[in-house]
Amino acid sequence: MVAFEVPEVDYTRYTNRQLAAVPLAVLAIALLIIGGWYVATGAPVNPGLDFTGGAELRVAVDAPDGQARERIQQAFDPAPESIRGVPSDNTYILTFQTEEVGVSALEEQARAAGFGVESSYTVSPSFGSRTQLLALGGVAFAFLGMSALVFLMFRTFVPSIAVVISAFSDIVIPVALMNVLGIQLTLGTVAALLMIIGYSVDSDILLNNHILRRSGGFYESTHRAMRTGVTMTLTSLAAMVVMTIVATLFGIQLLAAIGTVLVFGLTTDLLNTYMLNLSLLRWYKYEGVSN
Amino acid sequence: MGVVRDNWRIFLLIIVLVGSLFALFSPTMAQEGGDAPGLASSGATNLQYGLQLSGGTRIRAPLVGVTAEGVQFDGTQAPQVEQDVASQLENVTVADVIVRQRTQTAGTVEVTADGVTPEELGGALDTAGYTYETTRDGVTEQTRSQTVDILSNKINEAGLSGGTVQQIQTPTGENYILIEVPDENRQRVVDLVNQRGTVRVDAYYPTGSGYEQETVLEQDDFQSIGNAQQGGEGQLPNVPVVVRESVATDFQQRMVETGVASQGGSRCQYEIAPNSTDACLLLIVDGEVVNSFGMSPGLASGMRSGEWAQDPRFILQTQNFSESRQVAINLRAGALPASLDIGPNGEGTSSYIAPSQGQAFRTNSLLTGLIAVFAVAGVVFFRYGEVEVALPMIVTALSEVVILLGFAAGIGYPLDLSVIAGFIAVIGTGVDDLIIIADEVMAEGDVNSRRVFQSRFKKAFWVIGAAAATTIIAMSPLAVLSLGDLQGFAIFTILGVVVGVLLTRPAYGDILRALLTRDK
Repeated sequence: MVAFEVPEVDYTRYTNRQLAAVPLAVLAIALLIIGGWYVATGAPVNPGLDFTGGAELRVAVDAPDGQARERIQQAFDPAPESIRGVPSDNTYILTFQTEEVGVSALEEQARAAGFGVESSYTVSPSFGSRTQLLALGGVAFAFLGMSALVFLMFRTFVPSIAVVISAFSDIVIPVALMNVLGIQLTLGTVAALLMIIGYSVDSDILLNNHILRRSGGFYESTHRAMRTGVTMTLTSLAAMVVMTIVATLFGIQLLAAIGTVLVFGLTTDLLNTYMLNLSLLRWYKYEGVSN
Repeated sequence: MGVVRDNWRIFLLIIVLVGSLFALFSPTMAQEGGDAPGLASSGATNLQYGLQLSGGTRIRAPLVGVTAEGVQFDGTQAPQVEQDVASQLENVTVADVIVRQRTQTAGTVEVTADGVTPEELGGALDTAGYTYETTRDGVTEQTRSQTVDILSNKINEAGLSGGTVQQIQTPTGENYILIEVPDENRQRVVDLVNQRGTVRVDAYYPTGSGYEQETVLEQDDFQSIGNAQQGGEGQLPNVPVVVRESVATDFQQRMVETGVASQGGSRCQYEIAPNSTDACLLLIVDGEVVNSFGMSPGLASGMRSGEWAQDPRFILQTQNFSESRQVAINLRAGALPASLDIGPNGEGTSSYIAPSQGQAFRTNSLLTGLIAVFAVAGVVFFRYGEVEVALPMIVTALSEVVILLGFAAGIGYPLDLSVIAGFIAVIGTGVDDLIIIADEVMAEGDVNSRRVFQSRFKKAFWVIGAAAATTIIAMSPLAVLSLGDLQGFAIFTILGVVVGVLLTRPAYGDILRALLTRDK
């Protein structure tokens, strides 16, 4: 068996400012993107079907890829907003953001064109906007609840706020990435954002715990916490990368969406925990306490 | 004895695992086959699959209607109030107005026609001279539960096995009706539930100056409703019915008076020559004439002699068999007091998954989960290099999933994609915690005594407990809010964390201790 070791980083070579600058710069860029998105489109993220309302059909088309898309374009009036092929079984996922034609009419159009309707899904706009409010409220509640819990557990300001800022950044950066990569906010991605709150805090808590509550020097504790924490994040990351790829191939959108956003979140978490959180802790340990 | 006492956590885990496997596979634990409402059961296990993994239709929609609360009737009878309100509103018939008396003099007035706003209802009540407290969107609790009952009846009558109808309320106070029908095509379910299903029979008869139409039989006037008949041999498809004794004489008399039961019967030509036909009976469903028919000489003479009322059988003819079935379903299930808001501009959502697609999702998502587990296992083996540490880790994490599956089978919770995502999340958090335990226990040299082990294990557990608490907090909104499909995800992630912290992760500690301190 080959065992790999998490490499030891020589943190003494970098100042706190240098360490914090990178994740803070990334966070600033992410906030700029989200802000820009809000100004340009009126929403901080691209809301998907679950929130805007509309219809989604999954149709089986018996034709080679190029022709299938063309036939789909011709078959529907209005034309679908997006067409996504599912590699594993010759089906296509079509979305319609329209109010005029009901999903029943769309199903009929599909059948008339000789497509098999594998699934259909429709959400009304008013229901969607209510769902959006609920989802936002849910994320806000989860974040505030987590923050309160962290403050209760550590009972000191700097280490607690370090965890909260890291977690905040862990959510904001994936959201900005979703905008850049054109991934829409769906119920699945909301679930993933909530899971980021749960997952990302683990490694932060671990780091804080090792540094604040254990004997041993700062760098030694850091290294031990990193060994465990990085392994944890890497296993989760491996699971999520694989899940994303497989679920995309199978066209299981819920799992693919959760996987993608978690991959972003977990990667971001490595950056935030071991640069942002760590620099704040080091400042607290060496300078904050004595003041 | 010592072995058991020292390793009681492992034994507890084994007992729970065996229990879960029992719930999963034992035929004695099987729920009533595929009859369990809204679910389809699979062959080998007792797991129930939701619509996403078995195929079927789900519709979630509010009911159309507005309600005025605290209306003062001042002694006016309910039917009169209904008429007064209906006459003040455009496109609203008496059948769309429901008056419910709460006290001697006051109650609620609901209008269940599409497109009436609370303000318009208020205006109508003002004009009709009734005072009221408030008007609002939505209908009353009674109307909702009546609708649920009737929809369930309709689905049963239509032979859609396993269909369920229930009322759900969001935390923000909106009420929805949730209909789930396994294996059934969306259109068929929509057609069925979208019909209000008011059936009535009108007489259409000539008078001195043209024709008049008058309702002679209503939904409640039938004693019993037979099965739809195919017809044949010159007879149209039809539904045999028995008219209630209390109205039979009246009906008989009206038939004779209007000329439907004239000497030698009547020949109806309502469709071709509505202005020169004999008297007709019109079968009307949801305000539309489904069929028109006259009366045979035999039946007519029975009515004229008054014998018919002694044995008041009657048949309702339709143009084709599917209409007959529809009429029979509507008569038996009753008319919906309010309709579901599902058209193109409605408030509802609906989803349909083909059974073949559901099957594919089932195997594919299982495969996805397994591959994710292998990825985790790969990283863990790669990291630790010691089978003694890594293998129990994977086995322990998997046992969490087995326990959750057993739980799902035991309570009959239907598995959906979101629940499977929850399982994958559980494996993720589970392995994370096991890594914390393993690293902590093995830190700084060998574990050479139980005491060292215990103290290290306790330290590890602080982090695990803290992490578990944050995960539970983060997931709790999803578990409570009705964000549709994600409830299962949140519930099973939280359950997994709880099972992990209380049961499997401590047991892993014991396993690790047994393996690491074995020779000392």
